[in-house]
Amino acid sequence: MKSLKTKKIIASFAIIAIAIVSFAFINQERITVKGSDTMVILAQKWAEVYMKKNPNASIQVTGGGSGTGISALINGSTDICNASRKMKQTEIDKLKARYNTLGVEIPCAKDGITIYLHPTNKVKELTLKQLSDIFAGKIKNWKEVGGANAEIRLYGRENSSGTYVFFKDNVVKADYAPNCQTLPGTAAVVNAVKKDVNGIGYGGAAYSAGIEICKVKKDDKSPAYEATAETIKKNQYPITRYLYMYLRNRPTGAMKAYIDWILSPEGQNLVTEMGYFPVK
Amino acid sequence: MKKIYLFILVLSCLAINAKAQSVEDSLKEQLSEIKDRVNGLDERLLTSESDLSKLTKIKFSGYIQSEFNYYENKATYPSNNFSLRRVRLKATYEAADGVKFVLQPDFAPGSLSLKDAYVVLNDHFVQNGLFKNALSLTAGKFNRMNYEVEYSSSQREVPERSLVIRSLYPGERAIGFKLEVNPQNIPLKLQLGMFNGNDGGFTQFSDTTGKSASNTIENKDYDSFKDIMARATYSFKLGDFGGLDIGAHAYFGSLKSSTNATLHSDYATIDSSKVGDAVKKNWFGAEFQFFADVLGGLSLKGEYIAGKNATLGGSKFANGNLLPNFQNNFAGYYVYLIKNVGKKNQFAFRYDYYDPNTDIKGSDVTITKYAGSNTAKIGSMKSSIADLATSTFTFAWHYYFDDNIRITLAYAIVQNEKVGTNAAGVTNYKASYTNPDGTIGYNDYSTIFKQNQLTIRLQAKF
Repeated sequence: MKSLKTKKIIASFAIIAIAIVSFAFINQERITVKGSDTMVILAQKWAEVYMKKNPNASIQVTGGGSGTGISALINGSTDICNASRKMKQTEIDKLKARYNTLGVEIPCAKDGITIYLHPTNKVKELTLKQLSDIFAGKIKNWKEVGGANAEIRLYGRENSSGTYVFFKDNVVKADYAPNCQTLPGTAAVVNAVKKDVNGIGYGGAAYSAGIEICKVKKDDKSPAYEATAETIKKNQYPITRYLYMYLRNRPTGAMKAYIDWILSPEGQNLVTEMGYFPVK
Repeated sequence: MKKIYLFILVLSCLAINAKAQSVEDSLKEQLSEIKDRVNGLDERLLTSESDLSKLTKIKFSGYIQSEFNYYENKATYPSNNFSLRRVRLKATYEAADGVKFVLQPDFAPGSLSLKDAYVVLNDHFVQNGLFKNALSLTAGKFNRMNYEVEYSSSQREVPERSLVIRSLYPGERAIGFKLEVNPQNIPLKLQLGMFNGNDGGFTQFSDTTGKSASNTIENKDYDSFKDIMARATYSFKLGDFGGLDIGAHAYFGSLKSSTNATLHSDYATIDSSKVGDAVKKNWFGAEFQFFADVLGGLSLKGEYIAGKNATLGGSKFANGNLLPNFQNNFAGYYVYLIKNVGKKNQFAFRYDYYDPNTDIKGSDVTITKYAGSNTAKIGSMKSSIADLATSTFTFAWHYYFDDNIRITLAYAIVQNEKVGTNAAGVTNYKASYTNPDGTIGYNDYSTIFKQNQLTIRLQAKF
């Protein structure tokens, strides 16, 4: 085997450059979206309305949780990742290592993490500290927070969920209590609390129809707020977060058109319609 | 007659009522039984969930690199082979939030070795301010703090690390501890570590009698000197376009002298040193990684390292000469250019350079002026082909079959620094090797001889 000569090296570079440019201009029409279960109903609505308006577009939406969506973005099995939390540095590092980009973060909606209670529960408001102690297992009986003398039953999300991570990092600030029952999706959490008079759960505001909502106070002295468009906009509701779309690269072609539409007044109107809160 | 009918009717009603009562009792009993069963199942489910949650704390990952190599260097026999370059299985156990144990052996045939074995403790005490949950302590055997060292071989874009990194950090790992500060809201990372500092197999001279003992146990300490290492990195985000990470690291190490002299890299300067003194090996490095979203991902990465390295000498009283310690000034660097092509393909190019002795040029190797001026002290030590620099151009193309499988075609063009014409006629400008037929051949360092390498690698990762 002969050593490569300079001409061969230059020729190799030229072929590679042509290949790179050719691949870059391949127009992608089919878009896959995966990730946050909190966002799945919104993402499905966006896709449904957009495909009606653009019959050539093909958008496939699935849930699975923010962690699952981010993994899918890194391993290349989805084009857009929906996440109800920010990407972690370790996840960005994986993206760097595999695709040599830092990813593109697009805040596309806002959400207030809502505390669900059974309608018969006497407790109507809780402070962040009480919520932390309840989900960490330090407060175990409703009478400790002004409720009936009954054991508190906890319902939460699986650890692949962005809501699980956000709630843990920003509210619980410790490990969840071992008896916190993990459920696959916010709808399942709402259903479980509906059936359990001593239950408490957390999840996105869009899933709160037909269940008692617990108001949340920053501390003892603060007023209690429910997650509404107004309290979210004014940053009054204490457990407010952005919902994100993550991409590997800056969007082009069909993907850019879709994302521009999501951020347009039409796309943002659907955000409100589905029970979330617009970014602007 | 009427009385008889009435009696039968009452009797029937009583019988029906008794039966209804019996059915109700039976239903209640069955309901109670079902409730007990459900409660039993609930308890079993909770126990199972508790057991399963423990299992989710254990994570296994790993990779296998199976490859074909073709070597142009005639000193390498056989000239081509199939091999398993790395066979890793990494077990991570998160005992509690912020406590992690990691164990990673390498199962490459014929060389089973323990690569990583460490525990990481994340701070939970600092709950406010800049350093909230920012501190972590790592103890055990783990990668030293350098970009290319810490960058996993399963992700690296060329088959092997740069020569300068392989020379300074053989085996990559060391035994010791590391403190890391990684503030949540600042893209800054500070690392400070302390290690045994003895890496790879080496020969240690145990005392002034010239007795030598081999220590091939990687990372086992044999002196009281500890090596200290520090690294700082900072990340800049350049909007949606990309980002720039910059960093620097410093290494302050020493080896225990086994002799009374230390020869410097010009082969003329000698410092007196006692047996047991510290022979310093200190160096500094600066690094950058630039990521840009230009028609897909592109990155440019590089690092420059320079300083003093050292190897130990020893006594040779039998012939009256002394083999001194050797302390060499060195410099080395590498630059990567990596471009993703679509989702499945990636091109990588790396140029790396390592000069183990910056005080000796190729043209000066073996010239008399650099021969020992004090033979009583330095014996016959002369500059040699070991002081020559090496440049390597590596080209690689990766095809990502899926998330788990990567196929790599890589070609490394290795070029040695040439010795000068003055070296001709002396003996050490050639490296000898034995041909398969038993004859002796030579790699002639007065030329750039063939030593390129082709690698075709299949990597399976999970």
